[in-house]
Amino acid sequence: MDFDLGEQATALRIRLRDLIATHIAEDYLGAFTTDPADLDVAQRFCATLAEDGLLTIAWPTEFGGGGGSVWDQTVVREEMWAHHEPRGAQYMGLNWVGPAIMAYGSDDQKRQHLPAIAAGRVIWCQGFSEPEAGSDLASLRTRAVVDGDGWRITGQKIWTSYAAMAQWCILAARVGEGTRHEGITMFVVPMDSPGITVRPIRSMLGAHHLNEVFFDDVLAAPAALLGEVGGGWSVIRTALAHERVGIARYARCERLLSALGAALAPHWEDLPASLHTQWARALVQVRVARLLAYRTVHAQATGEVPDVAASAARIAVTQCDQAVAEVLFDAVGHESLDAGAHAPLHGAIEDHWRYAQAATVASGTIEVQRMIVSKALLAGGRV
Amino acid sequence: MNPLLPDEALELRATAAKAFAALGGVDLARSAEDDPTVRAKEVAPVLAELGLDDLDPWADPVSLAAAAAVCEAAGRVALPYPVAGFLVRDADGRPTAVVPNGLARVDHGDLFEQWRVVRADGAASVVAATGPALGSRLGPFVADLHVLDDSVAPAHLDALLHLTLSAWSVLGTVDRAVELAVEHVNGRVQFGKPIASFQAVQFQLADSAVAVAGLRELAGFTLWRLGADPDRARPDVLALRLHALEVARSVLRTCQQLHGAAGVCDEYDISVLTRMVQPALRLPWSTERTATALADAIRVDGFDGLFPHAQAAS
Repeated sequence: MDFDLGEQATALRIRLRDLIATHIAEDYLGAFTTDPADLDVAQRFCATLAEDGLLTIAWPTEFGGGGGSVWDQTVVREEMWAHHEPRGAQYMGLNWVGPAIMAYGSDDQKRQHLPAIAAGRVIWCQGFSEPEAGSDLASLRTRAVVDGDGWRITGQKIWTSYAAMAQWCILAARVGEGTRHEGITMFVVPMDSPGITVRPIRSMLGAHHLNEVFFDDVLAAPAALLGEVGGGWSVIRTALAHERVGIARYARCERLLSALGAALAPHWEDLPASLHTQWARALVQVRVARLLAYRTVHAQATGEVPDVAASAARIAVTQCDQAVAEVLFDAVGHESLDAGAHAPLHGAIEDHWRYAQAATVASGTIEVQRMIVSKALLAGGRV
Repeated sequence: MNPLLPDEALELRATAAKAFAALGGVDLARSAEDDPTVRAKEVAPVLAELGLDDLDPWADPVSLAAAAAVCEAAGRVALPYPVAGFLVRDADGRPTAVVPNGLARVDHGDLFEQWRVVRADGAASVVAATGPALGSRLGPFVADLHVLDDSVAPAHLDALLHLTLSAWSVLGTVDRAVELAVEHVNGRVQFGKPIASFQAVQFQLADSAVAVAGLRELAGFTLWRLGADPDRARPDVLALRLHALEVARSVLRTCQQLHGAAGVCDEYDISVLTRMVQPALRLPWSTERTATALADAIRVDGFDGLFPHAQAAS
């Protein structure tokens, strides 16, 4: 039993914090604000990480990565999220679009896409959810039909993060007459293809985040097919396997809770005693969430496929995110309504609360995670 | 990084579980209520066979993990014996218990001639039972003790060890409670189908199982911190105690509820487990007092976690 991640992880963490301190302003709240300069910061930071070999540290060396461990990946994930994800929209390309192309792409697709992702030059978006296919993804209706050598794609995607700024989209569409998982096929298409329309959705998450994407007779080249026709569900499973643990939300929670005392000084001691105990409880909840995430990473590191453990971790992590958001808001009181640089912790607390509201929905709802956990439990499995 | 208990501890846990099952499992707790002498007559010899007389949790990390593993096994059957206290002995072999300030109330306090009790500030005393155990439904073996000697050395670290091992025992209880609930809802038919088929039931079980899994990870982490850096482990141990109490409150409530009326009937193990764990949840401090102590401890010692956030770049 040993919970020390080791000297290599510590060195990596310190190196990342150095880079962040050098390149990212203390009041940076991520790429998706109303200030376009914030996206530019993220794009430049990705290039900086790429130059240092850190952007794809966990990719296999044969694809230009650093060959790092899942623990290296965990450290990167934690430090980035703790500091408001200065990679902006690119984390998706690094974390699973790239690995999915490694696993299912043709040699040409690998040559075209992997170096661009590794260099921090490209933003991907993911066309999975549809108006009638949310948690029940296998009911998706977007269709792809053969058109000459290539494909013609028609349908609608929704909740698509970063679609307005992405250059490429990896999307799931149905080929043929199959139902459910049959016929689901993956494509990679340039977002500037004629027939693609992006409509931003106003949301509390911030500008430029969620979008609807319409595909109206979009013509895709033969090379747009990723993997085999009808093999899309495997690609999706692979993709999700690379992101089992999901966002390291606990890392930002811990950072904000740790900074709260200094942010409220000299009024910290004047807070009601119940807020001090709620704050202490929140720190414990964050620790538990992190440990459940680490349990999943440890299982991955030893070659297991920790589906149930990953769902348990997601339940804990996303609930922790929302609980911490409430504790932070309670602590800052009426200032919770302020936003921007003059708000407590440069607006980070207000930003966190808004973003946390989607935690139990994004990337698989908490209800789906509970279904996975209870199914295993009732069949005699352990969580 | 390896969050798993060492193999030696897992083996001892399995051996202890078999031995406790051979004693009757939860039935032993039932019979001890009628005849408290079974604790000394039946349980003590089994613990000796398991090697607990010679187990020093402070000896090395494996011994520490083994002590925790035995406490977990004991908690799974509400073993009528103060295993955590018995494993934390003073130089003269007295068991240890952490007690509230101004009161020496100890579960199974009547079982030994003398105890060493430790208060929140680490001050220790040698005490002996004043009278018989309470004999109540929620504290059948709880006894009030009187001070024999106040001039013994402070025992901060042993107090932390006792709190940690007690939390491991609570972990065993809540882990078993979820198993019992799963068995019950799979077997109980209402509206023509097992009640396990209702999503309202499934989701409550899922949340309980996740809570227990989280407590298990925190218990392991805290054990590691206590072994690796005991002088700085006070906030960690209080965090574990607080979390154990909160998980127990919610998980036991849910698991009782899922048993329906059976949940409060002693024919069913869930009822006995819920009753017998109460002393561990109320002594030495209940939830809010523990939370206050934790907040104070964090103020003094911090709560660095797995990587100190203040540890910035060079």
